[in-house]
Amino acid sequence: MSLLKPLLILFSLLLVGVLPAAAQSDPEALRPLINNLADGNYDETQRQIEEIAATGNAAAAPALEALGEGDLYFRKSDGMVFIAVREGKIYQLTDPLTLEAAGEAGRRDVKKIRVNNRLRRVIRSALGSLTLMAPDPGVRMAAAEAIFTARDPDGIEALDIALDAETDDNVRRVMQQARAAAVLNSDLGPEEKITAVGTLSDMGNRQALSLLLSVQSTLDPDVQAAAADAISKIEQSIAAWDAAQNIWFGISLGSVLLLAAIGLAITFGVMGVINMAHGEMVMIGAYVTFVVQEIIRTSAPGLFEVSLFIALPLAFLTSGLIGVAIERGVIRWLYGRPLETLLATWGISLILQQAVRTIFGPTNQEVGNPDWMSGAFELGQMTITYNRMWIVVFALLVFAGLMLVLKKTPFGLYTRAVTQNRRMAASMGIRTPWIDALTFGLGSGIAGIAGVALSQIDNVSPNLGQSYIIDSFMVVVFGGVGNLWGTLVGAMTLGVVNKFLEPYAGAVLGKIFVLVFIILFIQKRPRGLFALKGRAVEA
Amino acid sequence: MSSFLFRALDARAGIFVALMALVIVLVPAGNLLVPESSPFHVPTYAVTLMGKYLTYALLALAVDLVWGYCGILSLGHAAFFALGGYAMGMYLMRQIGTRGVYGDPILPDFMVFLNWQELPWYWYGFDMFWFAALMVLLVPGLLAFIFGWFAFRSRVTGVYLSIITQALTYALLLAFFRNDMGFGGNNGLTDFKDILGFDIQADTTRAGLFAASGLALVLCFLICRSITRSKLGKVLVAVRDAESRTRFLGYRVEHYKLFVWTLSAMMAGIAGALYVPQVGIINPGEFAPANSIEVVIWVAVGGRGTLVGAVLGAVLVNFAKTWFTAALPEFWLFALGGPVRLRHTLPAQGHSGPYRERPIDVWQQIGLRPG
Amino acid sequence: MARATSQLYLDGVSVSFDGFKALNELSLTIDPGEMRAIIGPNGAGKTTMMDVITGKTRPDTGEVFFNGTIDLTGEDEAAIAELGIGRKFQKPTVFESHTVWDNLELALKAPRGPFATLFHSITDAEAARIGALLETIRLSSKRDELAANLSHGQKQWLEIGMLLAQDPKLLLVDEPAAGMTDAETAETAELLKEIAMDHCVVVVEHDMDFVRALGVKVTVLHEGSVLAEGSLDHVSADERVVEVYLGR
Repeated sequence: MSLLKPLLILFSLLLVGVLPAAAQSDPEALRPLINNLADGNYDETQRQIEEIAATGNAAAAPALEALGEGDLYFRKSDGMVFIAVREGKIYQLTDPLTLEAAGEAGRRDVKKIRVNNRLRRVIRSALGSLTLMAPDPGVRMAAAEAIFTARDPDGIEALDIALDAETDDNVRRVMQQARAAAVLNSDLGPEEKITAVGTLSDMGNRQALSLLLSVQSTLDPDVQAAAADAISKIEQSIAAWDAAQNIWFGISLGSVLLLAAIGLAITFGVMGVINMAHGEMVMIGAYVTFVVQEIIRTSAPGLFEVSLFIALPLAFLTSGLIGVAIERGVIRWLYGRPLETLLATWGISLILQQAVRTIFGPTNQEVGNPDWMSGAFELGQMTITYNRMWIVVFALLVFAGLMLVLKKTPFGLYTRAVTQNRRMAASMGIRTPWIDALTFGLGSGIAGIAGVALSQIDNVSPNLGQSYIIDSFMVVVFGGVGNLWGTLVGAMTLGVVNKFLEPYAGAVLGKIFVLVFIILFIQKRPRGLFALKGRAVEA
Repeated sequence: MSSFLFRALDARAGIFVALMALVIVLVPAGNLLVPESSPFHVPTYAVTLMGKYLTYALLALAVDLVWGYCGILSLGHAAFFALGGYAMGMYLMRQIGTRGVYGDPILPDFMVFLNWQELPWYWYGFDMFWFAALMVLLVPGLLAFIFGWFAFRSRVTGVYLSIITQALTYALLLAFFRNDMGFGGNNGLTDFKDILGFDIQADTTRAGLFAASGLALVLCFLICRSITRSKLGKVLVAVRDAESRTRFLGYRVEHYKLFVWTLSAMMAGIAGALYVPQVGIINPGEFAPANSIEVVIWVAVGGRGTLVGAVLGAVLVNFAKTWFTAALPEFWLFALGGPVRLRHTLPAQGHSGPYRERPIDVWQQIGLRPG
Repeated sequence: MARATSQLYLDGVSVSFDGFKALNELSLTIDPGEMRAIIGPNGAGKTTMMDVITGKTRPDTGEVFFNGTIDLTGEDEAAIAELGIGRKFQKPTVFESHTVWDNLELALKAPRGPFATLFHSITDAEAARIGALLETIRLSSKRDELAANLSHGQKQWLEIGMLLAQDPKLLLVDEPAAGMTDAETAETAELLKEIAMDHCVVVVEHDMDFVRALGVKVTVLHEGSVLAEGSLDHVSADERVVEVYLGR
């Protein structure tokens, strides 16, 4: 019980705090009525409670809650009423209407307003009708949900009255569900109960399921049969939503993989450069985000909400320029020598990691989520967080943008020309070294903007890139080298497969299975899902 | 058969073997026989350190055999090394007996800690040295055989193979981090007490382990050398340079690859098994993908396709690493990254033309061998 | 068609890559001991045909038989090479970091397993055979040179030498005269004629002078099937062949 009290107070606080509109009539108007509670016997108290309920003023809810819990006291000196919590030898007082701290009082200075079981029931229904009739739909919703959880048959009456008056469809639905829950717990006849089971079956979620499971044994045979039907129906619906949720998680993971791999799909897939420093390009993008947010924090806090949009082009440029520098400085000497390229870029990755570690330190850096990236919303029985959703959207946008660049711009045409036949392209007047550098820069730059996105969901540390490099290669190889669509399908497939394995195998084992699966898959189709076929392969 | 063994010994191999024999004798002697006051005394920590280098050299030798001679760039050899190390570690764990923190005669400490009641079946037999030694060879060998059988039969080559070997060691890394795998999870196996009844901390044991590492290195060197100088070695180089041509000559390339691949994995396993008692711990970190790449760097620095170069590269790079991490810890990664880069920024022949990998021959470069 | 008495027998062989038909119902018979020249414009399917015979490419449909009885479609490259079909590539591919001698030693007919080669020591007979081959391909003076240091023509010959070392029943030779001087071309034609005395040889070539110098039956391929067959004079008189070669 002692744990419940703070919870209840918190609940009341929420009711009032979340919704200022609830105080549409002045809470102070209730003060005399509340103070009246200090006087009189149980009968009078009952009358006073009903009077308070009649005002329909939701601000009275905390006081009534406290009264029901036996936490409402009055001060002997002036008869003022407070919510009091005992702390050792003294009481901490809280104003029952404003819910502000109101000092403390000695043990002998205050007296508890006593209630009996009859009064508690009165209080509950008063509370129910108070909140069920509250002007704010949010409060009404919360009240209905509270009744649903409590399955209190005494709430039926209040709910019936409230349902008559209810105009908001959502609230109405929840009230009906609450009523159904209460009905199943009451002494009403089987017909009422079968209707109630029907309502719960339409609800179709875990709450309805657990409610039905817990009352099933207490029901009449007829109702029990209906309940059993409803349970199996709900279980199916839950399974379907679980699958949907898993697919969503899979797509979400897939888009992270896509973001990490898509730059590599250019440098490795299109150009054939084994870039082990790819992960570090992602890491640099994340650090650019960190730096941008630091500067904003100190000089222009108002821009924080758009910090990611500022970071995107900067990350693209930073990683892209580093990529161009690497291509010009190292990789261009190594075309056609994949193994040396691999080792050289691995060396570069070490240098970049160490450089970042030297500048920013080895610990994780704090990168904040803007408001529009935080929070979540419900879709049916799925919870979708905004940051995951935006990352999916962002990954697809990047993919589409990259496709456009490669298929529709002259630069893309040159790139494809150079990668298909370097000498021919050169003799057509294309400056192949520049195309190489720019293509590599493009791949690296995209890794940079992936870093901006990943900074929102992952720890920003010098090791950030390492955790993505193997996954990225897996995605590109699995999807088929040289094919961007393959990368998309590969990333999504691996993401979804991974998430479906996780419930059975756990996160780590799931990942191991995926790796083993890819290793076996490459045996079967050494050139990936979307392989080039025919003579071109041998060239 | 006799010609097979004699083939290994020519002048160059002879010099290497003689030098190694000198090292194997002099270093332990310098530690055990020379008084500490003498400038020629070799401190115990140095013996252990050099012993560790020798196991690295053996690992590099294994990588050079597959990469330098057969063109299979393995980025997962640290996995075989670590598996050999775990097999030896399991033996050493069983030797602790009742001297562990919890004093359980059968279960290693970490299992008692995890509330395990019985020894998992795959820990059976590791209380016997011969069994553990067999497993040091068999486990990496079997894994390599299965992996190679799949990979080579379906003709996964070049960078694809390299990438899936990385995935292999990465998957093992993740697996060994799990506590319920039964290999000590994150902490791995450590707190060893003795090996074959000798105290693992004793100077004599350390000197013995050093000598064993040196002998293993010489033996494996001779095996590698006789292989590379046999007709099989010529086929391997042929596979490296023109795989499909070799096939059209009627050689089953996958059998050849599988043979050296498995052999090389076993050598890596031996290296790991000798490494563990000397450093006193084996944990999943040994599976880290970066470790495997580092081995390739040693071989590249020493000269791929030269065997002696691989040994030299491993010792030199690791010596530099020890020195740098002591003197300039911040800059070790720069230092490791730097030479790799510089070494490979030498201009290539040009963009066109078929890619031919020639062994990078340091011996030729520094004038020890006529061109 | 007499499959039973043929050296090489292709019937109704089709291969397509992503919808492009590289071979289209190709049928061809080579008799034992015969030498045949195959010509055709680019993309006629000459190289794909070789790929199918040597096991590099699997045909979608059709039959390929060697010696009249051995089905080649189920075998891989190594097995087919062991059966006695040798192939020389369009671009000379020799083992560049091996010496000329080692190249021939690798090609020499001998057990091909890893353990056989591991414990192999060269016998006097083998050495003599290699010496003879070096004479045939006129590379005796280069026996210890790395193959990488040979000229283009010498590499072509080395490859032919390797083909002979395998002692195959059937030799598939893809453009042996490509990139050779006129003198070298003439010598190569002589060499091939010499070889054809005791081997069955299929030569793919563009160079008409070379084909004329061989003086054998010619098969013209076009768009993956046989367009014409007969002596060189006969096929060059064929309207369709002229059309294919000169454009329409």
